[in-house]
Amino acid sequence: MKIITCYKWALDEEDIIIDKQSREVITGRAKYRISPYDRNALECGVRFAEANGGEIVALTVGGPETAGSTKDVLSRGANRAVYIACPELAAADSAATSRALAAAVNKIGDFDLIICGEGSSDNYAQQTGPRLAELLGVPVVSYVSKAEIEGNMLRAERKLEDGMEAVETPLPALITVLPDINEARIPSLKQILAAGRKPVDPFTIEDLNLPADMIKPLSARLSTQGAVTDRRCVVLQGDGAAIELVGILKSEGIC
Amino acid sequence: MYDMSLTEEENLMIQSVKEFTQTTIAPAVKEIDISGEFPWDIVNKLIDLGLHAMPVPAEYGGPGLSSVMSAILAEELAKGCPGIATTVGANGLTSYPILLTGTEAQKKLYFDLLMSGKLAAFCLTEPNAGSDAGAVATTAVKEGGEYVLNGQKTFITNGGVAGVYTVFATQDKSKGIKGLSAFIVERDRPGISVGKEENKMGIRASNTTDVFLENVRIPADHLLGKEGEGFKIAMQTLDKARPIVGAISVGLSQAALDASIKYSKERQQFGKPICANQALQFMLADMAIQTEAARWLVHRACYLIDAGLPYGKESAIAKTFASDTAMKVTTDAVQIFGGYGYSRDYPIEKMMRDAKIMQIFEGTNQVQRMVIAGQLLR
Ligand SMILES: Cc1cc2nc3c(=O)[nH]c(=O)nc-3n(C[C@H](O)[C@H](O)[C@H](O)COP(=O)(O)OP(=O)(O)OC[C@H]3O[C@@H](n4cnc5c(N)ncnc54)[C@H](O)[C@@H]3O)c2cc1C
Repeated sequence: MKIITCYKWALDEEDIIIDKQSREVITGRAKYRISPYDRNALECGVRFAEANGGEIVALTVGGPETAGSTKDVLSRGANRAVYIACPELAAADSAATSRALAAAVNKIGDFDLIICGEGSSDNYAQQTGPRLAELLGVPVVSYVSKAEIEGNMLRAERKLEDGMEAVETPLPALITVLPDINEARIPSLKQILAAGRKPVDPFTIEDLNLPADMIKPLSARLSTQGAVTDRRCVVLQGDGAAIELVGILKSEGIC
Repeated sequence: MYDMSLTEEENLMIQSVKEFTQTTIAPAVKEIDISGEFPWDIVNKLIDLGLHAMPVPAEYGGPGLSSVMSAILAEELAKGCPGIATTVGANGLTSYPILLTGTEAQKKLYFDLLMSGKLAAFCLTEPNAGSDAGAVATTAVKEGGEYVLNGQKTFITNGGVAGVYTVFATQDKSKGIKGLSAFIVERDRPGISVGKEENKMGIRASNTTDVFLENVRIPADHLLGKEGEGFKIAMQTLDKARPIVGAISVGLSQAALDASIKYSKERQQFGKPICANQALQFMLADMAIQTEAARWLVHRACYLIDAGLPYGKESAIAKTFASDTAMKVTTDAVQIFGGYGYSRDYPIEKMMRDAKIMQIFEGTNQVQRMVIAGQLLR
């Protein structure tokens, strides 16, 4: 069984600072790491492979920094890492990302299952998985909180806002998983040391014959501003407190 | 050139241990400190990560980490719980006699046990042999192809949880330190029993017990090095392990400093955060200066070990300075937290209790100063 798990090499939001005055998002000190839900996607693949045997290919596309992600992902149980890292993909949106991923998946060849995280920690657009499935012409199951494989069928539970849905689909298929699906294991010292000996395939957009307009973002981000919550603590006392409170809430546009 | 950079793999290992410390150790420390129960669930996960076998060479299935890396990872663990870091440290301590003097067969025997997930314990101290380790009274008598061990070991870290011990015993008390020999002793040999667990002031997550040996028979090939080399092996082992006590101390200091910085920004008195007072700022600065200095003393001692250069004095200096620093920095942290620092509802007083042992075990800081002075005046 061949499983491809997709991951995004994203900035760690814990390192991102928001300037309170200008609301500028300062990423200068932020480091890259595997987007957290994608760790669950990889763990899901590793558990399938442990149970049913098989190979796990970890796949990512992104800017040049993406090339530095392979040892991390290989230490978490993937057998092989494939990436496309180039400046053209640095500002990729879900459309461009999914097209580049689809081209890479086609080059990797026959697969039984593709696993993506439900969304990435930076944009959380939740589009890459479904778009990729559409481009590859395979069924997609999103919001997966539980999954099992039996023969050629994948059974999954989808955690939706108003309840759970049980679905099944034949393989090959693509699923996008929620963090509820598992607890991603922490790599052991030996897994980390072994990561450097596993195969890594850098694909290029030239190899994949990807024309420039295929990986051009359809949408462009014009600006980003951080959300700043301004908290105040006002204590009202005395007989007129309730009336005063209503006055404040009105002036703030709350009631 | 003295290169202080780390490889990508080493950075990933640090990341793994940081994550383990934050997600697995940190949420449990308060409860373990109260109960004093050995945290097998956490230790088993730590064994899965390979953290109990850091110095085990790759040819025996271990990660074969350098001393510098072992120190860095011990510091990370200690930021979460110095008691758990001590459990790991004792495994390293017990491994060094085998690494230093073990034959191929002994290495295989011992490292196989470790790699199968067993803990280990270093049995030197006795009721009447503490700082004066040469006064060991446990006896080893050779009978045919076996040695028979009799005696009592005390204050043994991992004593009640280990699967294998290194035991120091005398074959001839009249020979003093020249009469000592070192042995590998598996826990399941008949005649071994474990005393009650010490009810300790700090590092309560670690297991400390007496170990009793009553006519314990071991094959003669369990002797480490030669007969009479036991004291030398014990001293070489402790020289090599002391920087790890230093590293645990640095982790404690750093955790106390980080908590103090955070708290001093949040706590308001006289209408401003307490960190707005220069008196506190200078305390924080001094804590940082000492912690940083301790860290680099530890790393330098480890570097000397890894480079195959003499390290006895530097190792003693690193252990002494780092543990004295941990005591001072954690005491200052309690001061910065004020009354809350003294309360068991806050994590700070535990750090101060945990710090104290670092000045005592693996040779008290008085004994370290004797060792350092001895080297200076040679
Ligand atoms: C929690 C814990 C874990 C331990 N783990 C282990 C272990 O895994 N294996 C092991 O073998 N041992 C272990 N020990 C024992 C530890 O190493 C000893 O406690 C330590 O070496 C001191 O010995 P002692 O307690 O007998 O003190 P003593 O030697 O009685 O010392 C008492 C005091 O006298 C001072 N002193 C003694 N002699 C001199 C001198 N000549 N000059 C100046 N001052 C002196 C000491 O510095 C100390 O302040 C552990 C102890 C504890 C508490």
